Amino acid sequence: MLQRSREPNTRLWAALAAPGVGWLLLFFLAPLYVVLAIVFGRVDPLFRTAVPVWNPLEWNPAQFSYVLSRIAPGDVYFPAVLRTVVYVGAASILCLSIAFPVAYYVSRLADKRKGLLIALLIAPFWISYMMRMLAWVNLLQNDGLVNRILNFGGFLDVQVDWLTGQPLVVVLGLAYGYVPYMILPLYAGLDRLSQPMLEASRDLGANRVSSFLRVTLPLCRPTILAAVLLTCLPMLGDYFTNDLLSASPKTAMVGNLINDSVQAPGQTGQAGAFVMLVLLATVLPMFYYVRVTLRGDEVRT
Amino acid sequence: MTVPYGAGQSRRQFLQRAAILAATVPTMGAFLAACSKEGPTSSGPTLTIAKPDSPVKWDIPADNPAIADGMAPEKGATLKIYNYADYLSPQAIKAFEDEHGCTVEVSTFNDGDEAITKLRSGVDFDIYNANYTEMSRLVTGGLLRPLNHSYIPNISNVWPTFTNPWYDQGWQFTVPYTIYTTGMGWRTDQVPADIGALKNPYESLWDPAYKDKTAILDDFHSAMALVLLKQGITDVNTSSADDLKMVGEQLTALVQATSPKVTITMYSDLPAGQIGLSQMWSGDIINAQSYLPEGVGTEILRYWFPTDGKGLVDNDMLVTLKGGKNPVLAHLFLNHMLDPDVAKENFSAIGYQPPQNTITADSLVEEEFIPENLRSAIVKPEYFDAGYRILELDADNDAAWHNVWNAFNAGGS
Amino acid sequence: MTTQTEVRQARGFRGPVGWYRDPWRRPRVLAAITAFYLAWSLLPVLIAVAFSFNDGRSRTNWQGFSFRWYWGDPSRSVWHDAALHTALFQTLKLGVIATLITVPLGVLFAIGVDRWRGRLPSGANVLMLISFVIPEVLLAVALLFVVTNLALPIGLGTSAQVVGLVTYQVAYPAVLVRARLATIGKQYEEAATDLGASPLGALRRVTLPMLMPAIFASTVLVFADVIDDFVLVRYLSAGASTEPVSVKIYNTARAAPTPALNALATLLLVAALLAVTIGFLVYRRMTRGDGTTADRGLAAFAGEA
Repeated sequence: MLQRSREPNTRLWAALAAPGVGWLLLFFLAPLYVVLAIVFGRVDPLFRTAVPVWNPLEWNPAQFSYVLSRIAPGDVYFPAVLRTVVYVGAASILCLSIAFPVAYYVSRLADKRKGLLIALLIAPFWISYMMRMLAWVNLLQNDGLVNRILNFGGFLDVQVDWLTGQPLVVVLGLAYGYVPYMILPLYAGLDRLSQPMLEASRDLGANRVSSFLRVTLPLCRPTILAAVLLTCLPMLGDYFTNDLLSASPKTAMVGNLINDSVQAPGQTGQAGAFVMLVLLATVLPMFYYVRVTLRGDEVRT
Repeated sequence: MTVPYGAGQSRRQFLQRAAILAATVPTMGAFLAACSKEGPTSSGPTLTIAKPDSPVKWDIPADNPAIADGMAPEKGATLKIYNYADYLSPQAIKAFEDEHGCTVEVSTFNDGDEAITKLRSGVDFDIYNANYTEMSRLVTGGLLRPLNHSYIPNISNVWPTFTNPWYDQGWQFTVPYTIYTTGMGWRTDQVPADIGALKNPYESLWDPAYKDKTAILDDFHSAMALVLLKQGITDVNTSSADDLKMVGEQLTALVQATSPKVTITMYSDLPAGQIGLSQMWSGDIINAQSYLPEGVGTEILRYWFPTDGKGLVDNDMLVTLKGGKNPVLAHLFLNHMLDPDVAKENFSAIGYQPPQNTITADSLVEEEFIPENLRSAIVKPEYFDAGYRILELDADNDAAWHNVWNAFNAGGS
Repeated sequence: MTTQTEVRQARGFRGPVGWYRDPWRRPRVLAAITAFYLAWSLLPVLIAVAFSFNDGRSRTNWQGFSFRWYWGDPSRSVWHDAALHTALFQTLKLGVIATLITVPLGVLFAIGVDRWRGRLPSGANVLMLISFVIPEVLLAVALLFVVTNLALPIGLGTSAQVVGLVTYQVAYPAVLVRARLATIGKQYEEAATDLGASPLGALRRVTLPMLMPAIFASTVLVFADVIDDFVLVRYLSAGASTEPVSVKIYNTARAAPTPALNALATLLLVAALLAVTIGFLVYRRMTRGDGTTADRGLAAFAGEA
């Protein structure tokens, strides 16, 4: 068999990838530099708009240190940061505990109705996220369906104000919004597990629970990690769920801090500082996700 | 088979790329500086802040003249208005569209800060609903187009003071839009007490009995001014660091005590029963009548504002923007909104009172436009003499106020 | 694997403990969880759709059935309210333009990076994966700064929105196509080049057709994501004329929404369902007889190769 040299093809592949690479460099990487230029830039003294400073040697750390000095425990922004971590963590755990059984069932155990179930699982992607949140706002209003059900025919008079600063509602809202994004990668990963390997452990005498814990779980660990990261990281920037479900500063998240200060005069640099801090905080999990995914690529081949 | 990309390799590549990036950054910096958009630079060291006792007549630069007289309105154009949501009657818009054969497009903003940032980023709106807390920045930033009074004869229908207001002497840029007070609104079925009869009605927002039922305005200046007035401080534009610190502490106490919503939609939340007691603009409580669900009468709504007028009193204005493409239509729209019938219809649609000469407190209650239980929401001319205005803050003070507000919004101390 | 029904029939009744220990019993608990999840996920939306047919203004109290908010109401229904038309049109415009740019860009990127050896492509791969998971608001703020501070030919509005959307979505086709490439393997392409085809020819006539399921799936997913996008389009919008449906819903939901909003979202949902159904039927026709995609049905269409 002729072994053609692959070298001349490098230019072809490079040419194919070039538009994508160029686009990402221009519109993904470069804007991050602009964020730096604004964070370390000046503020116009009259209009209090942010003025970017392009030369790193002239950067002014005032705005960044203002934010940095206020996120330590006990300081002004710490509660919002802590709340974000707690809400996202709780929502992710909730998502996983719902998504995993559903994905497992649909991928492995639902023979006849698999197609229909997958269609129903994908359906939320096609329904506007805003619409799904709005649906819940309607249900949770004081005269909405949830309160009316709780009042069950007038037996009780439970008038819970769901939409005024309830952390539980925000966590449930986040979970509701992001669970479809977790189900799909879990389904994809679980679908690839080989059934014979799972059956083998049962055949060798392990009971259901032990078989699950010692064979199934370790096999799908990379999938679970990737799915959790895929859902958890975007959740960190969410602000509109909180805005819609609870217009109260009591449940403000980091995304709200960014959103509130981006357009406010004099605060744009602070918004940029928050953006940078979130980026720094998530860069480790993001690289971990990349690593897990790349390793997953290896396993697949 | 694919070559496995180890984590070590990608890390090394990243570091190498970062090193290359660091080396090229100064050149990139110079390149970006050349591409940078030059925004309007600040002229003069400080903003001229207008106050009721120190009125300002703005200079009109030579490169920003008013349009000529007697021009024909633009044909088939889209008039772009930038306004709060639900703050302009659809009927008034439709009437204008029919009269001039144009389309009107309304874009909305949530608060003044967001609006100014958008305006400075180069959009082409024609008309903007401004407040005098922004006047200096708008004029100095060259965002406004001076008015040609010959297109706006209906100015004679409004209170005479508005032809020479302290914030724009000689009404070179503005026409008045609505007048309103900032007080407390509540509904008697959720809040049976008579808030207005309390010694310090503002204090009721801190009363734990109303937990989860309250709201304050999502406007930093109005909300913080409420706290100042509650403590008896009448300088609602204070620059005293102690006062601001106190405001911050009181706001924290507020969150602990009643956990209020921070919004500008109390005109629909209160009638829907989401909240029972709120800091409100007078127009909101009047507007709330049309959002009550079926079967609920308007007699449950109440409003309180100090009867001596010693509370927050303000007016909104309409201005034409320099970046707009339809100046003649913009002038004609301003004139349209000053027409008494249009203004009255707008009043019924949005709830905010226009300063029309034909509209007085008595005439409104007589015509049963406003129920007797909401008489206190009608704005009287005397309020403008005794009341406190929310003024524009200079840069440092603005920063200090915003820092307190940001801390409050972050749910922190 | 013996069918579960056969095994079950052979056993007979065993009592609760036997039922629990039976490895072939129907997974009732999991099925129940799945059913509960589907109900929790879809019921609120169905209720919202139901209220779009409400006769009155309320979105919580049923006041009778009517098409008022679709075309009946002369000023506020979807048919009559120009602002809602603009929003719908903008949503579809953004969806089509962004998808048309994203999918080719992502597919070519995936093919190129997969074959190209070196540090630059693996770095680019890392960059692409990061763009997949980055919180959207970070990218939105960064692009807002770029558009408002640099004198680019792109101002706020549709072009900036498209740029942002493409950047955010380009990872989707890239990831799906790479996964599919890994599954296909190199043998078909190598066979083609050994038989005399140029690398580009082999790509065009062998690999690309085999990638069709992944390309199709990514088109569908990117379109769904773009018409639903909120954060990016809101920051980069220039006013009401460039606000799509998601921003409209957000703005109005915080003020005083009418069921016209529910009607608008329902219409969008119906349009999306139609697009997916048509897409799926086309896909079925295209992959008829294709061995690598047979019997995968909706699963392959959903994007997992």
